[in-house]
Amino acid sequence: MLAKLRRDLPAKLAVTPSVVIALIAFIGCLLWTVYISFTGSRLLPDYEWVAFAQYERLFATLRWQIAYSNMFIFGVLFIGICLVLGFVLAVAIDQHIRAEGLFRTIFLYPLSMSFVVTGLAWQWFLNPTLGLQAVVRDLGFENFVFDWLVRGDRAIYTLVIAAVWQASGLVMAIMLAGLRGIDKEIWRATRIDGVHPARVYWHVVLPMLRPMVMTAVVLLAIGVVKSYDLVVAMTGGGPGNASDLPARFVIDHTFQRANLGLAAAGAVVMLVTMAAAVVPYLYSEMRRRER
Amino acid sequence: MRKLSCRLATSVAAMALTAGPASAQDLTAEVIHWWTSGGESQAIAIIADEFAARGGTWVDTAVVGGANARAAVLNRILGGDPPTAMQWNIGVDVVEIAEQGLLNDVSAIAEAEGWVDVLPPLVVENAVIDGEFYAIPLNVHADNWMWYSTEIYEELGLEPPTTWDEFLVQADVIQEAGYIPLALGGQPWQERILFSAVLVGLHGNELYRSLFIDHDPAAARDGRLTEVLETFRALDAYVDQGSPGRNWNDATNMVMTGRAAVQIMGDWAKGEFSAAGMVPGEDYGCAMPPGNENAYVLVVDVFTFARTEDPDQVAAQEALAQVMMDPEVQVAFNAVKGSVPARLDAPVGSLDMCAQIGAAVLADEANHLPSFSMAMSSDLGGAIEDAVTQFWNTPSLSAEDGAEMFAQTLEQAF
Repeated sequence: MLAKLRRDLPAKLAVTPSVVIALIAFIGCLLWTVYISFTGSRLLPDYEWVAFAQYERLFATLRWQIAYSNMFIFGVLFIGICLVLGFVLAVAIDQHIRAEGLFRTIFLYPLSMSFVVTGLAWQWFLNPTLGLQAVVRDLGFENFVFDWLVRGDRAIYTLVIAAVWQASGLVMAIMLAGLRGIDKEIWRATRIDGVHPARVYWHVVLPMLRPMVMTAVVLLAIGVVKSYDLVVAMTGGGPGNASDLPARFVIDHTFQRANLGLAAAGAVVMLVTMAAAVVPYLYSEMRRRER
Repeated sequence: MRKLSCRLATSVAAMALTAGPASAQDLTAEVIHWWTSGGESQAIAIIADEFAARGGTWVDTAVVGGANARAAVLNRILGGDPPTAMQWNIGVDVVEIAEQGLLNDVSAIAEAEGWVDVLPPLVVENAVIDGEFYAIPLNVHADNWMWYSTEIYEELGLEPPTTWDEFLVQADVIQEAGYIPLALGGQPWQERILFSAVLVGLHGNELYRSLFIDHDPAAARDGRLTEVLETFRALDAYVDQGSPGRNWNDATNMVMTGRAAVQIMGDWAKGEFSAAGMVPGEDYGCAMPPGNENAYVLVVDVFTFARTEDPDQVAAQEALAQVMMDPEVQVAFNAVKGSVPARLDAPVGSLDMCAQIGAAVLADEANHLPSFSMAMSSDLGGAIEDAVTQFWNTPSLSAEDGAEMFAQTLEQAF
């Protein structure tokens, strides 16, 4: 008994700091945020209890409604397009093309840039008076219109374009690693059976890439929730608040608007939404492992 | 002459009051501010140099962006390592941090030098909290200024407009001639500045006060706001497509280079013109926006002092306060910053033509209007800004619905 304890002690000691940090920094702050969201805190924390008043105001706020629904539009499109594009790029590169290393580098390159740089570059590129639209018009196509960045009903899609440009290379790299891990025998067997390669990819390879897909989805989903810098750099949430996202709403209300209570309520709703999406996935994965 | 020597005598006496014992102390002041652009950092350097000349050591902590600077200050205070002094825009937020007991007051010197009598009442109202003097006002900016290209106006033979209707008529002529009539940076706060200039221009200080000081939803529903929003919407046709997200100084640059005729922007825009070596009245024009002749929407930069018991720090805070409230320093500072001295008794004769116009409007108390940060919490101010930007960027929204949205915003905030 004692010997076992002595044997385990170094390991336990080594893990303790990270457990403590996780408890205080993550769980502690999380609980504190939940608590603050039920108070009337403004510039500074204030522990006066207001029950659900902040949540009522949050959902009555037009800007939050826009930001919250934008998160779904942005999330679904961003994750979906990245997965498809990443997979297609990976398959294309996996055909043992010439200069494979070069293409891999090109597709991965955007990832080396921060979202701020990406946002700024795409802002210039899509700005109708100096970017793509202006250039095409100068080439003689006077009627060319691409003004999504300045249109309230389209601006959110320009964020998707920029984010996809940045992140699909990452998905490609993950998928490519998975493809390279697939046994050559499978390909040989299907070729002998005369199965069309597209069907092999769809029915055989893709299911085998399941862990890669899940890794990519989790990474991209985290990107969606924390996407603050991209919005700030690219559209500033505009025009108006049309391309606002919850993270920006929360930061704005914490610091500029001095309304900690409302910001905390927004953060909690983000957390609950995230949990609603992730918990079923974790649950199913764990059950698969048990079996 | 006698007045000047009298003032000199009092300031020397007051200096002796604190500088005497202070000279043995370590007058090191760390100051957090957000004046980082060319003109701004030149202006704050005047204060820093004067503080150094009086025996202090100025530790400059400039943070880019007002919101970031305020966040840094709050983090430092909550972390127990406050700076000596920090910049704010005067208003509800300053009142809140003072009431939370996070600030030192400078009431003793304020009383000795009679500061309350030489400042605009609206500023005093916000600087004196529970009878104590907390915030040192350096300058008075105004939200509502009109900057115009003299080149375009001369070429087309137009006079700067005095009503918004006249502006709309001229805008057609300007657009016809191939210029952009109105340079606007499409960010919520800039749209709000344009909106309040239209509001004051059409319905005067009265509507402004009942909406933004009294927060009266009924005033938003009586039809006047609908008219304001109609005119505001009409301006949309005269703004170029690249407007959304544009920075204010890029919009100023459009007027500077003669691509756009007019920008409605606070008088910090003058710093951009000055930095380009342009002279007001010749290379560019400044005037109050149409219908705003009797309104000055005050934006006041103040410095506040963090709560501390350390006698060295308290001495440094008092010395700083005196430098900042020195009338000569305020004139020198504002000549660079582009604003008007907060002290109404400061000798403004040496300032440029725009500042003269501003000082004249400011001279009448009835013209004083509080800016958003002074009139309401940043929370409510932000919610109204959201409503303005929502209306401006949603062409399908009617003026009636817009006014109703305003009324609801005023009701909703708590």
